[in-house]
Amino acid sequence: MRLSLNVNGMQHELDVRPTARLIDVLRLQLGLTGVKEGCSEGECGACTVIVDGKAVNSCLVLAAQVRGRKVLTVEGLAGDDGLDTLQRMFIEHGAVQCGFCTPGMLMSAKALLMADPHPTEAAIRLALAGNLCRCTGYTTIVAAVRAASAQAAESSSPPVGEESVV
Amino acid sequence: MTEDLQYVGQTYPVHDAWQKVTGELVYGSDIELHGMLYAKLLLSPIPHGMVTNIDSRAAKALPGVVKVFSHLNTPADVYCRARLTPEQELCPRDETLFSEHVRFVGDRVAAVVATSQAIAEAAVALIDVEYRELPALLTTEEAQRPDALPIHQGGNVFFEYDEECGRRTEAQDAVVVSSTTNTPRIHHAALEPHVCVVQPHSTGGLTIWSTSQGVYGARTVVADLLGLDYHRVRVIKAPMGGSFGGKTEYILEPVTAYMAQKTRRPVKLLLDREECMIATMVRPATASTIRTTCSPQGQLEDMEIATVLDAGAFASSTSDYAVHMCNKITKLYRLPHYHHRCEAVYTNTPVAGAARGWGAPEIVSALEIHMDRVALELGLDPVELRRLNLMHPFEVDPVTGMSIGDGRVRECLERGAAAFDWSARRGRDPGRGRHRRGVGMACGAHKNGMFGKFAEASNMTLKMNEDGTFELGASLHDPGCGIVTVMKIIVAEVLGVSPDLVAAGEADTSSTPFDYGTFGSRVTYVVGACAKAVAEKLKEEIITAAADLLHEPRERLTVEGGEVHVQDDGQRGVAFKDIARLSHMRHSPGITAATTYYATSNPASYSVQFAEVEVDCATGLTAVTDFLAVGDVGQAINRGMVHAQFQGAVQMGIGYALYEHMDVDEAGRCGVDGFKNYHMVNAPDMPDIQVLLVEHSGDDGPFGAKSVGEIATVPTAAAVINAVNHALGTSLSDLPATPEKILAALDPGEAEA
Repeated sequence: MRLSLNVNGMQHELDVRPTARLIDVLRLQLGLTGVKEGCSEGECGACTVIVDGKAVNSCLVLAAQVRGRKVLTVEGLAGDDGLDTLQRMFIEHGAVQCGFCTPGMLMSAKALLMADPHPTEAAIRLALAGNLCRCTGYTTIVAAVRAASAQAAESSSPPVGEESVV
Repeated sequence: MTEDLQYVGQTYPVHDAWQKVTGELVYGSDIELHGMLYAKLLLSPIPHGMVTNIDSRAAKALPGVVKVFSHLNTPADVYCRARLTPEQELCPRDETLFSEHVRFVGDRVAAVVATSQAIAEAAVALIDVEYRELPALLTTEEAQRPDALPIHQGGNVFFEYDEECGRRTEAQDAVVVSSTTNTPRIHHAALEPHVCVVQPHSTGGLTIWSTSQGVYGARTVVADLLGLDYHRVRVIKAPMGGSFGGKTEYILEPVTAYMAQKTRRPVKLLLDREECMIATMVRPATASTIRTTCSPQGQLEDMEIATVLDAGAFASSTSDYAVHMCNKITKLYRLPHYHHRCEAVYTNTPVAGAARGWGAPEIVSALEIHMDRVALELGLDPVELRRLNLMHPFEVDPVTGMSIGDGRVRECLERGAAAFDWSARRGRDPGRGRHRRGVGMACGAHKNGMFGKFAEASNMTLKMNEDGTFELGASLHDPGCGIVTVMKIIVAEVLGVSPDLVAAGEADTSSTPFDYGTFGSRVTYVVGACAKAVAEKLKEEIITAAADLLHEPRERLTVEGGEVHVQDDGQRGVAFKDIARLSHMRHSPGITAATTYYATSNPASYSVQFAEVEVDCATGLTAVTDFLAVGDVGQAINRGMVHAQFQGAVQMGIGYALYEHMDVDEAGRCGVDGFKNYHMVNAPDMPDIQVLLVEHSGDDGPFGAKSVGEIATVPTAAAVINAVNHALGTSLSDLPATPEKILAALDPGEAEA
């Protein structure tokens, strides 16, 4: 079947099997292998992508269900100006180890910050509840999301005084 | 610390963090090759039996199916998946590519290779297999009965180890305490599923992309099985999404290589989560009974231990595992007499093998839960009992006959107890209400490499590029914890340049020198020491070249800030990049060094951990509310990542204590087929882990560094269980302490309190 969808800002017209999962279309047809498959049943969250602002497990969604929608994967996070603040904070805070959960963590965190730029720690942990990590114990990941939230706050507020003008 | 360190001890991201946050990194499971075929396994649904018929006609008829493999058309040669090197001992060869005699639910019966994963999966479902069932031996007790059917030739107790040292003394007033602890079979739960990709070549050779932890070992196992000369088999370590020991051994490499060789096409074998859980490897279930004799004041006099290790259906590395379960306790406590018997037993359950800590989390859980029992019996504070008996620096472990080195377990205990405010918190009454709080602690010991057993060594090359940057040639296997970065930091420290100027990658048998791989807590201590040695050698080469350029004697030259200076002459010097460029033109084709580093010691690493828990006596649910991990790591190389190792290790240990298990039912099934019924601690349930490092740098590792990744998880489960027992006044020792077990341990009526 024909499927029209927008992935990372680019419009695609694809021929997909009606039963194809979103993750298969992203990984196999579009080559977006940053979308990871860890469990195939929505438990690990490694395949998380953002569909119209909401974090979803792309292994649990049929490609047909996102017809005409906007999909953001980890490959679409960085812009022309470089890495997204979240990506930079994940690197800076040591939130990346084996990295297999990282794309999903980033997308869940991104969806959270899009909806709530200044979440509490409890809200961060809750937003990441569906993303399993076996390496970090989550401490550094939570710290990275907090830092990204704080940075966004800084950059969005107008410069005050000389020190904040670089 | 004895020297000023510029880069060592700072914090750096893992070397490929940038590729990981952008999705750019190609993991093993992301590899796609032209003309690649996809394999799907057919696993035994029964725990024990003989395959009597395989009808694969319907599968073969499916368009896109290239070949069906089973014991009918593959060699029956046996191999050991855990073998690191051809002459290695304790590697029983009991596994074949495909089984006619199936020995567990998950045993490989057949495989389909097809042009797509979907076709391979559809075809596997069309294969009709008939079995003649045999009695299943699902517990070590069943397997050890005199009349039990042997699962393999030679009987089910395939390895017995007996370790005894010291002399037994019989004091009149001695106190005797006995207890038994069961530790569960668990799944390593690396987030990336197991995968192997093999490309055959028209020359008869193979290229294998392996997400294992030792490419040279993989090569010998595969090449010997397939009858290939080693130089025709190239094994590349592919980026992997975690291991925790579960990918140490060569589980998929032999079968994938065989299928690629026979189809003459690249083959990818990628397991799904259920297959990873039941058909790769698990941490072995163990049962240890400890009988301790001590003085009424708490001085340990004797420990008599019997351990039974459930090896599952194949031996893999569990013989060695059994040996190592018997050399941990004597690194921790002074014991006038120690006697430990350990049996490894085949059962019709998932294959057990390498797991983070290599037997230490298992035996230390038993030991430290038992030590709390001893403390209770004597009316001593648990910390005080440890204080009376812990080893002192540079004492000798009587089992290995080697010094524990500058081992600072006592300092870990004291600093941890103070930081955790142990005495005050332990003194608080947990109460009798529905929610009860308790605190517990535990000590753990581990090692640093394989010295004492192997010719423990590593090889590396290091070259200076024409622009003064550096490239390390080393067989590194990074499971994801930052091994490559550690090596870059060490080289950078020696050469006085930023780690960014040092390139390092992972192992490839065709281009990186021999190294055993990532296990045995050997990487920082041994491989890292090799990185330091090769950098020191290269530094000498740089000085030699600079001496020639500057017309100065070597003795007058010092290296600093990417330059070689003439001492006492601030004006004169030459930058690395100029040395590299000019020496090419003058006297040398390049500045390179190669070295072999031999380890000559194997000290102990230690961790002492403190936990606070809150148990809900109505539901039996336990929450870990506070946790402190103290680690004797010698010297942190990458400080942030050392902390992170503890944080992740504690998460794993909490799961081991409270949630994770793969119990087998009467049908031999694990009852887990994914993360939905295998509970791992997630972000909301995880407390922030406080980490305190003890750094004395007194051993032979690079800049005094010792191992961290394994020791970090060794005492965690015992600390948590001891806290639960403190909260409830129970003596739970059957891990994990699930809500059911906790409710059952409470006095009748308490559960409703």
